[in-house]
Formats: sequence, C-alpha cells, structure tokens
Amino acid sequence: MGYSDRMLARLFITFVLLGATLFGRPQTAVAPAQPAFAAHAVGAQPRRGLAVARSNVSASAGGPQALTPAQRQANIDSFEHVWQTVRDKHWDPKLGGLDWQAIHDELRPRVERATTMADARAPMSEMLARLKQTHFGIVPAAVYRELESPGSVDGSPGIDVRVIDGRALVISVDADSPAAARGVRAGWQIVRVDGADVESRLAAIRKQFADSTLIDLVQSRSISSRLTGPTGKPVKVEFLDGSDKPVALDIDRARPRGTLARLGNLPPLYFWVENRTLSQDVGYVRFNAFFEPDALIRAVQDQVKACAGCKGFIIDLRGNPGGIGGLSMGVAGWFVDRSGQQLGTMYLRDTKISFVIFPRPEPFRGPLAILVDGCSASTSEIFAGGLKALGRARLIGTRTAGAALPSVFERLPNGDGFQYAIANYIAADGRPLEGLGATPDEEVRLTRRALLDGRDPVVEAAVEWIQKQGRQ
Amino acid sequence: MGTTIRTALAVLVATAIVAVLAQDQLPRGETIVDKYIEVTGGKAAYEKIRSEVVTGSMTFPAMGIKGTLTVYHAEPALMVSEINIEGIGKIQEGTDGTVAWSLSAMQGGRLKDGEEKAEALREAAMHSDINWRDYFTKAETIGVENVDGKACYKVVLTPKEGSPQTRFYDKETNLLLKSTRKLKTPMGEIEAESAAADYRYNVTIPREKFDLPEEIKALIAKGTL
Repeated sequence: MGYSDRMLARLFITFVLLGATLFGRPQTAVAPAQPAFAAHAVGAQPRRGLAVARSNVSASAGGPQALTPAQRQANIDSFEHVWQTVRDKHWDPKLGGLDWQAIHDELRPRVERATTMADARAPMSEMLARLKQTHFGIVPAAVYRELESPGSVDGSPGIDVRVIDGRALVISVDADSPAAARGVRAGWQIVRVDGADVESRLAAIRKQFADSTLIDLVQSRSISSRLTGPTGKPVKVEFLDGSDKPVALDIDRARPRGTLARLGNLPPLYFWVENRTLSQDVGYVRFNAFFEPDALIRAVQDQVKACAGCKGFIIDLRGNPGGIGGLSMGVAGWFVDRSGQQLGTMYLRDTKISFVIFPRPEPFRGPLAILVDGCSASTSEIFAGGLKALGRARLIGTRTAGAALPSVFERLPNGDGFQYAIANYIAADGRPLEGLGATPDEEVRLTRRALLDGRDPVVEAAVEWIQKQGRQ
Repeated sequence: MGTTIRTALAVLVATAIVAVLAQDQLPRGETIVDKYIEVTGGKAAYEKIRSEVVTGSMTFPAMGIKGTLTVYHAEPALMVSEINIEGIGKIQEGTDGTVAWSLSAMQGGRLKDGEEKAEALREAAMHSDINWRDYFTKAETIGVENVDGKACYKVVLTPKEGSPQTRFYDKETNLLLKSTRKLKTPMGEIEAESAAADYRYNVTIPREKFDLPEEIKALIAKGTL
C-alpha cells in the first residue's frame, strides 16, 4: 500500500499542475459579465469581473427554445454546484469579503425563472464575476461539440489578430488557410466582421478595460471570436489593405492549424508547435499553448539539441494563453542548469505547490529571450515571469495579460463547462502575476508598417540583443 | 524471474471518519500489523514472493481525467511505477535499489535525495511488509475509525526516516483498508490517502523494466540532484 500513497501524492501534484493555467481558449471571447463593473479595487488596480464565454456559440448553445423541466433542474443544480465549489475551494475562504450567501440568494431566483440556457447561464457568470478575478467562468456546452465534430465550432479563416494603435490588424495569416488563399496579408486592418463594426466594439472595450492588463487580450479575442465559427459557413470580413483601400471578402472557415488536443474537461483546442534555427544562428521555438506534453517537449528538446552551439535562443509566447501549468517547469528545465530553482509558488487553500525546475541533462546555457505580448497569459506568464525573476531570460515585447490563476475545468449538470481558480500564484520574485502581468525588460511593439513590410520588430530586437551578448 | 505476483486494484476514494475508542481498549499496533501479514497469507507465503505488479485505474470525475497506474516491483529492491494520463502521457518513478528517480514530459527527469529517496528505497524493499520492524521504529494504535462503513483500527507507523504513516485495519478481517501520510517532495508536502479493495495474482516482469531511463543515466553522469 506504500506505493499507492506515493502514487496518490504524485497524482495530487499532477492533478494540481494539470489544473494550472489556461486562460480561456484562443477562439474564446472574454466577456465582461454584466453588471460586474462596480468600482471595487482588488489588488493593485481595479479588476473587473470576467467570464469566459463564446460569443459565437453562446447565443445558440442550448437554443432559444423553452427549457424542459429537466433542463431547468439541471441549471439549478449547476448554479448550486458553482456556488458551493467557490465557497469550498477558493483559496481565500473569505472570498475577499464577499457575502457569498447573499449573492446566492440574490441570483438563484434568476436561474429558477430562466426560460433559455443563456438566461440560466447569465446569473452563474455574474456570480463568478463578483469575485473580480480571472479564471472563473462558464463555458457553453456547445464548445465541447468540437470534440465530436472537429471544425463544427472552431472553424477559422486562419487569421491572427491584435489591436495595435487602436486598429484591429491581421498580424499573421496561416499558410494554406482560407485567408491565405484569398490573399489576406499581415498588416491589413479589419473594419467589419459579418457587418458588425469592429471599431465601436473596440472602443467599448477600451472604455471598460482602460486600467486593466487584460485589455489587449480582450480586444484581440473580441475580434477572433467573431471570425471563428462552423466550417462551411464563410465569414464576411471588410478590410483596409496596405494602401488603406477597402477590400471585402467572404472567407471560408476551415479546421484551425494544428491537432485537436484535449485534456479532461478543458475545452478542446488546436495545438501546434514550430521550431527552427534562424539565419542568425539563433534557436527559435513557438507554440500556441502549453499542451500536448510529449509533442511540445520533443520540439523544445530537438531544437535545444540542434542548437547546442547557437548564439542564443528565442521562445515566442506571443498570443499563448497558457495551458497545463506543470509544463512550464518541463520547458524551463531545458534552459536552467542549476538545481533548486523555482518559477514560483501556487497557494491553495490548504497547501502550496512550488513550481520547481528540474534541469535537463544538457540544457541550453546561452542567452535566452522570451517574446511576450498582452495575449500571453497564464502558464505563459508563469514561465516568462519566473525565468525573468530568476535572471535567466530577457523578456521582449509588451506586458502580459496578468491572468495567472491556476484553475481547473469541470462539467456541470447542465452540460456547460465551469472553470474556477484553485490557487493564487506568486512568482519567484515574490510578486503576484494576477492583475500585474510580467513586464518586459525591453518593450517592443508591433507596428502596422512593419507588418506590411513583412518584418517582426520583436524578433528583430531579440536577435539584436542575443548578438550583443555574444560580443560582450 | 519469480512469478508470484500480487495485483492490487487501488480504488481511490474519500472516506468518512467517525468513531474513536478509548486508547486502553485497543490492541497493540505491532500486533495488528503482524496479524495483517497472517491474514493475507502469512510470512512464509510473503517470502515466496519474488516480484509483483500492481495495476489500477484512476479517475478524477470532476476534471474528466482518466488514467492507469502500474507498479512493477521485484527483489531485492527494484521498483518502477508508471502513471498514464490521457492528454498528458507517461509519468514514471523508480529505483534500482540505489538510485531513486522520477521522469515525465511535464517536469523532466530528476534524482531523489534525502527523505524522499529514503522513502522510495524503503517502499522498494521487497519484503518490507513482513520485515516492517527493520524500517519503522514503532506502531501505535491510536483509535478506531470508520472506513467505508467498516470499523477500523487506526495505527500510526513511525519510520526510521520520513513521515509517519497512518493505516486503517478492518476490525473484523484485519485487512488494510486505507493508508494516509504526508509525503515530502521538492514541490511541497502532500497529504496522500489510498484505499485498497481487491487483491489478485500472477504476471511476469521483464528484467529490463527496471533499467534506468536514458535521461536519468544522463543526470547521474552529470551529477545532478
């Protein structure tokens, strides 16, 4: 029986590390839960209630049709489960001073009266939003349909978007994607999606998130979630091209880049990783999430081995929403040569878990640059912020999302997903990442001009820094 | 290699804890531990065991995560355990009687030391159950508690090195139904609880199963702890 104890302890750690930190999905809108914008301040800056939702599926999830008695009961049971889970498992038993029972009593009648799934989901999202913390949210059941029928939910034109200088810009177009086939180019501005004006939406988000580290991520996802939808259902996108000439295109949606990955109740997402040696003799690895451990670690390992004599190494975490928290340690082990160091510590209600780095036998010891932006979240922040605090990496880009609470996903009785944070996280320098993010050592922003010219100023800055290290 | 194998299906369950009896009414801890050896076959039968494989399955229903667990165990102190979790892959731990290690894609490889290593070596010792006095300084019965509705003696075993274990032996059958303890790892101290529900027999373990993984050999060569 001795080893079952050990295995259970190991499993517990694994379980906790699996939890960690995925901030929604790249295709998922981060929706402010209404009316959650009370002027409370939590931590260093005002934090708004956030709920993870999919704007393009939530309206249809469950359908607008009247609920059956069984569905009504499932929604009530779901509400109770969400309420009790937060009460019993939030790392802060006092829930920041909230009167949790009063919130229950206020919101439950709305679930009881709800006539649609969306109506029932809203008070649950609102309840979570009262916590004013990231990584609490309700994921409509429809998201999980992607598992049974790939492309039915996450079909994509193949465009990655950031809001730069107030404009929604295409920052990259996936090779062989529908957008690439239609000639869409990096640097083009997105003006309307399916007739909906982008600028007015961005303006509303800017107003609501003016003081939040989440603003870049929320803006980006508000566009991405509109572009995403079922395959076979084209999306109409109106652009301004590189000459500011209007271009309107009906673009097909296809299965996103990568392989469909899943882990338990986490909403499925498409995972990809790329690694190569840049012409300047610099190793480069980019991946869209901390997922698929075998594939991710193999890619990092291959590049480190191929790059033993390289001048430096770049890990590009821009747009990476996180994933399996424990993988931050596994990847870090390829870049740290001294035992006993840790990226940070997660504090659960009853215990704490340190994110210890176990050096690989032959790690990369040269200069390491980590590229981040406002859409780098969760595990990405744990990894980048931790290695920065240890003095092992230079962060280049823009501040990360400040959404770094370890969390888990459950399925509710009504079929929806339920994400809740189980711990607070403190980086190696003693600072929380939640609400603050990881600040770059060197701030470098993308520009429309650079994108139109096919340049990436952030990679260029990293290469330049690495080359300087070699000369010093 | 010997082929008498015990396969235990570990059922990982939470249990209710209820009643406590007065200390002076309780049998001695070492009597209970010794009796457990008798009711599960006796010392002579245990000594015939040369190797064993423990298999199990695990689910975290709330998380929707499933996995399997296999522990390979052989004389004199060889052990390799493997957890396979869907979406995560293989998580391994082991010892060849000298080196204690762990390896996973998620965290990489590492060599254990200190109390953690001592515990791993103790667990790998093939006959540590029947020779428990070689590894523990005392066994004390501290009460009676219910485990899944069955009254159990609660026995605390204090090891020569490492944290105490609390074992729950069925009052009627003297079978071990549950075990709890705190385990120290580099990542933190974890409270672990396990319960056994079934025992079965017979498998053969290939000797190479206990070979050190290449990454662990590389860490040893590098002298990393």
